[in-house]
Amino acid sequence: MFDFELVNPKTLESVPALLSRNWGETMLLAGGTDVLDLLKERLAQPQRLINLKSIPGLSYIKAGDGLEIGALTTIAEIAENAEVRQNYAALAEAAESIATPQLRNMGTLGGNLCQRPRCWYFREKDLICLKKGGELCFAVEGLNKYHCIFGGGPSFIVHPSDAAPALMAMGARLDLLSGTGRRSLALAEFYQLPEDNLMRENVLGPNELISAVKVPAPAAGTKSTYLKFREKQSHDFAIVSVAAVLQMEGKVCQQARLVLGGVAPIPWRVPAAEAELQGKTLTAAVLAKAAEAATANAIPLSQNGYKVQLTKVMVRRALEKLVK
Amino acid sequence: MAKWKPLDQMTYLGKGYARLDGPGKASGAVKYTYDLKLPGMLYGALLSSPHPAATIKRIDASAALALPGVKAVLTDVHPTGTLRYAGEEVAAVAATSPEIAADALERIKVEYDVLPFVVDLETAMKPEAPRVYAEQSNVREPRVESEGDLAAAFAQAAVIVEGTYRTQVQVHACLEVHGSVAKWEGDELIVWDSTQGVYASRDGIAKFLNIEQSKVRVICDYMGGGFGSKLQAGRYSVIAARLAKATGAPVKLMLSRPQDSISAGNRPNLIAEIKAGATRAGKLIAFSAKTYGTAGIGNNARPALPLAYDVPNSRTEHYDVYTNAGAARAFRAPGCPQASFVMEQVMDELAEKLNLDPLDFRLQNDSNETRQQQWKMAAARFGWSKRAPRPNASRGVIKRGMGLGAAVWWPGGRGTQAQMTILPDGGIEVRCGTQDIGTGTRTLVAAVAAEELGVPIASIKAMIGDTEYPYSGASGGSTTAPSVAPAIKNVAEKAKDKLTEVAAQHFGAARTEVQLADGRAFVKGNAKNALSWKQLCALFGTMPLVVHGEWVEGLSSAGVAGCQFAEVEVDTETGVVTVLRMLAVQDCGLVLNRLTAESQVIGGVIQGISYALYEDRLMDPLTGVLINPTFENYKIVGALEMPKIEAIIYDQPERGVIGIGEPPTIPTAAAIANAVYHATGKRMRALPMTPDRVLAALHS
Amino acid sequence: MQDQNESPVPIHDTAESPPAEEPSSKISRRHFLKLSGGGAVGTVILTAGVHAKAAALPPDAEVFSGSVSLQLKVNGQRRSVTVEPRTTLLSALRNQLEVTGCKEVCNRGECGACTVLVNGKPVLACMMLALDAAGQEIVTVEGLVQNGKLDPVQQAFVDHDALMCGFCTPGFVMSVRALLDRNPNPTEAEVRQAVAGNLCRCGTYPRVFEAALAAAQTAGKRG
Repeated sequence: MFDFELVNPKTLESVPALLSRNWGETMLLAGGTDVLDLLKERLAQPQRLINLKSIPGLSYIKAGDGLEIGALTTIAEIAENAEVRQNYAALAEAAESIATPQLRNMGTLGGNLCQRPRCWYFREKDLICLKKGGELCFAVEGLNKYHCIFGGGPSFIVHPSDAAPALMAMGARLDLLSGTGRRSLALAEFYQLPEDNLMRENVLGPNELISAVKVPAPAAGTKSTYLKFREKQSHDFAIVSVAAVLQMEGKVCQQARLVLGGVAPIPWRVPAAEAELQGKTLTAAVLAKAAEAATANAIPLSQNGYKVQLTKVMVRRALEKLVK
Repeated sequence: MAKWKPLDQMTYLGKGYARLDGPGKASGAVKYTYDLKLPGMLYGALLSSPHPAATIKRIDASAALALPGVKAVLTDVHPTGTLRYAGEEVAAVAATSPEIAADALERIKVEYDVLPFVVDLETAMKPEAPRVYAEQSNVREPRVESEGDLAAAFAQAAVIVEGTYRTQVQVHACLEVHGSVAKWEGDELIVWDSTQGVYASRDGIAKFLNIEQSKVRVICDYMGGGFGSKLQAGRYSVIAARLAKATGAPVKLMLSRPQDSISAGNRPNLIAEIKAGATRAGKLIAFSAKTYGTAGIGNNARPALPLAYDVPNSRTEHYDVYTNAGAARAFRAPGCPQASFVMEQVMDELAEKLNLDPLDFRLQNDSNETRQQQWKMAAARFGWSKRAPRPNASRGVIKRGMGLGAAVWWPGGRGTQAQMTILPDGGIEVRCGTQDIGTGTRTLVAAVAAEELGVPIASIKAMIGDTEYPYSGASGGSTTAPSVAPAIKNVAEKAKDKLTEVAAQHFGAARTEVQLADGRAFVKGNAKNALSWKQLCALFGTMPLVVHGEWVEGLSSAGVAGCQFAEVEVDTETGVVTVLRMLAVQDCGLVLNRLTAESQVIGGVIQGISYALYEDRLMDPLTGVLINPTFENYKIVGALEMPKIEAIIYDQPERGVIGIGEPPTIPTAAAIANAVYHATGKRMRALPMTPDRVLAALHS
Repeated sequence: MQDQNESPVPIHDTAESPPAEEPSSKISRRHFLKLSGGGAVGTVILTAGVHAKAAALPPDAEVFSGSVSLQLKVNGQRRSVTVEPRTTLLSALRNQLEVTGCKEVCNRGECGACTVLVNGKPVLACMMLALDAAGQEIVTVEGLVQNGKLDPVQQAFVDHDALMCGFCTPGFVMSVRALLDRNPNPTEAEVRQAVAGNLCRCGTYPRVFEAALAAAQTAGKRG
């Protein structure tokens, strides 16, 4: 880590002014579990770190007409919250699947949504890949078993968040605060593909932050789940994950939302698969068709073809779990 | 010849008891090398080469030296300036904090001449591949061993199997990274080293600093794992000593986790082209193996084929191949887990072609009498008879299977000296220059001494891990227990003789009339009139009793057998292999401590599971760097993956002490691979058996 | 097999330099390697803004830079340390206060060896700034020992041989202690989940499960 100054602001409103309008000069510190990693590897070298934990009142879960979660709420608090477990199962299951008990006690929801890619080329400090201003995405010709099968090019990272697919499937919105004021943004519009912006995975401005995440109350008959495939159960990122939200009326699916994690540079919604479900009685054949549709547009790299198979299986199993 | 007393007369040996340093380790009280902080100590750090092949043209350390807190920069730490792997040491710094040391590394400017490189074994074998060593081919002269008439045997064989098997590179991943603290006192050097051999470390450091061995003292009180990677002195120890010399202050130099993964050793990989034949009657008669492995820039990637089975006609031809990667080092049963993965699957393939049960086929081809018994005992306990006779017998998506494999190990022990000091107040000190690498050596020193003297184990002060103590070898090859235990028994016997003599004088009795038992001395038949231990020792006056002892014949032996059984579940839709249970039967002669012996076996099995399913050191062919040097992507088995593991120690007290460190990790991956085949009907020919590979095999 | 245990390479190898050739790889390494040395060279990310001036500070914000003195509450004692903003809690504990029960193994939040309790919750000292820990109750493995007596969890680890080299042990002990504090009667599955963030290389996991369940029997809840 290079040296930096640490600023403990007292109010949320003072934060945008503390942030530079230029990328890289300042950074926000929340749980620190990704930021400290980036700093230690010298992948980020800000002059100033703004410690959001010094601001009271940013950690909360409010349940009422929908759910509101403060950006500084830890992953563990979300995973353990009775209301979340009861009515927002996909989010609870996603939170439970994140990292380890220790990291869940530290990591925050806002931080989880904003984490940088785990690509091993990106994280290797001596390599200057495309996302660090270099000329190449090494994954194209290099070792790519963990890279993306959707939405790739020119970079082939995957988005590592578990919370994001779950929240996106539930139609979450973000409260954002910047120097120019507050805005509300659908999580679905928060992330951007490398072809749109190579350097950043989301649309947050340099002096902008997430203050809260809002999830609409689920319509009657809604069930959700989050299924995560990893190479080992003890601490691993998703190879493939599926957030599935179904609004059912009897055996008929009124509305379906399927968002994949670990397979694309952003949480990856699969409308083709959703379309196979909507308005239909969810028989085994329908679920299989949806699973097939989920991977119709996959373009695997040299070593990650297995992710296509895994995606199909995970989509089908997530749906089976909800239909059972 | 020396002999152990019968097991039923033992208080400690043969039984299980807690290790003596457990409380210190569980409470954080004990200090490992990494934990030391000496007055005025500086923190060292190493600059690593970003290039897999390069020569150093120039190093400018002026900006680093100008940084406040930086006390020294060494720009000549590499002996030749020709770098052969990414991560090799280029320069070193010493600073007042680890943070400043890291800053200093960033300010060292190095100009390199970048050279072509090759990190992949098969690419390195091509004639046009860049050479790792300019003056020689990447492919070394083969090592060939042959026996019998192979061609005739294959002609005679009723069944023949052929196949190519591959294993990966595994890194030791000791939780305490390699490193040292060095401190000069005049022209004498003290090094606290995270090592498996204080004497080996001392000799290496003295040699490379070109100073007398008597000027170097190496201490290792506690160390956080070695597994073979800490058997020799490290470049880091020498660099720490040089930094300490340059700054006049003690210096701690620990590798970073990536540096440890890259440059501190590994288990080489293997490509094995195998052909094996057996008679209709079920005798393995022919075996040929052409094997290739890379130990990076180092040597000896040879697998121990054909490992456990008797083959009258065989030929093995092995090629070491150089690549631009860190050198291999001994790793828990060098050459064996990879050989086992190959051999046990070949055995199963032959058995299947012969329509024989894999266990029966082994019983016909395994001449080890101990293992003959172990196979039967383990099979009964595991429920092998319930195994489906055909592979792929489970219905549904999740399939179950069982598999097995054999463990072998050869080395015994010798060459340890020890000193026992009995103090006038009754205190007992045992000094021995061995070290405890986590196997419980400190506890065994105390237990053997206590057993012989007839005193409680807690009354023994076991002093180990220091070259000021009598010589013992490095802890490798499962040689520690059979080297150390006899020396401790010997020195305790001698002390007991002296004590008996002192007591005899006191009682005015003949020595043969005096008995030492339960911490007391008395004339036989007159136990009422005994001297307590303290009273006896008080007879010394002010001069302690000091005796020397050494390893003697008769108390230890070599060669062990073992076998393991695995039951797995394979999810045929996702390729996930779940190990449900493992049974390991292992002999180690006379059991010194049943609790820690079982822990060793369980630990070996767990490392084997990790090797089978998760671990894989990946060199990036494009950039030449080790792309997964940290635990995020170098995946090691964790708590949630643990199967039920049963460890059975097969007692053979009459054989004396034998080491148990390596054999329990040998057959685990093989047994799992055979179980995966039994579950699915698909043969896994490469490690680790990750979901992508299993899915590929299932769809083949 | 003996030869396999010998050192395959000397500490100082003596081979000569190979001839300089063009890299065989399609891409020259110079294109994608950071220029060695010089902290802020080479890339957009690395250089962005290093020379620019950050925005002005509001009056109510605390600012820490350079050397900062602070007090940490470690195992019930107030301890003074001088740190930089970038100093991790792990570095402050180990290098300054010599509280070395929390081990440095990966330094990246991947192994759990530096697990400490902060306000009763297990967290990783390597992924937390020392400044962030000011004013909070920090308990390390040393702090579980009361009047020279091991905590029941520590004693169970000893009795069940749930440790070998011992380098991961303090982290496991803290994870188990934290579990029993909130769940005095866990199932084995809950124990496994609680230590899923702790890595052991010697292979003590099954013994850890035994120890945790035994400790729950003897004294689940502290105090």
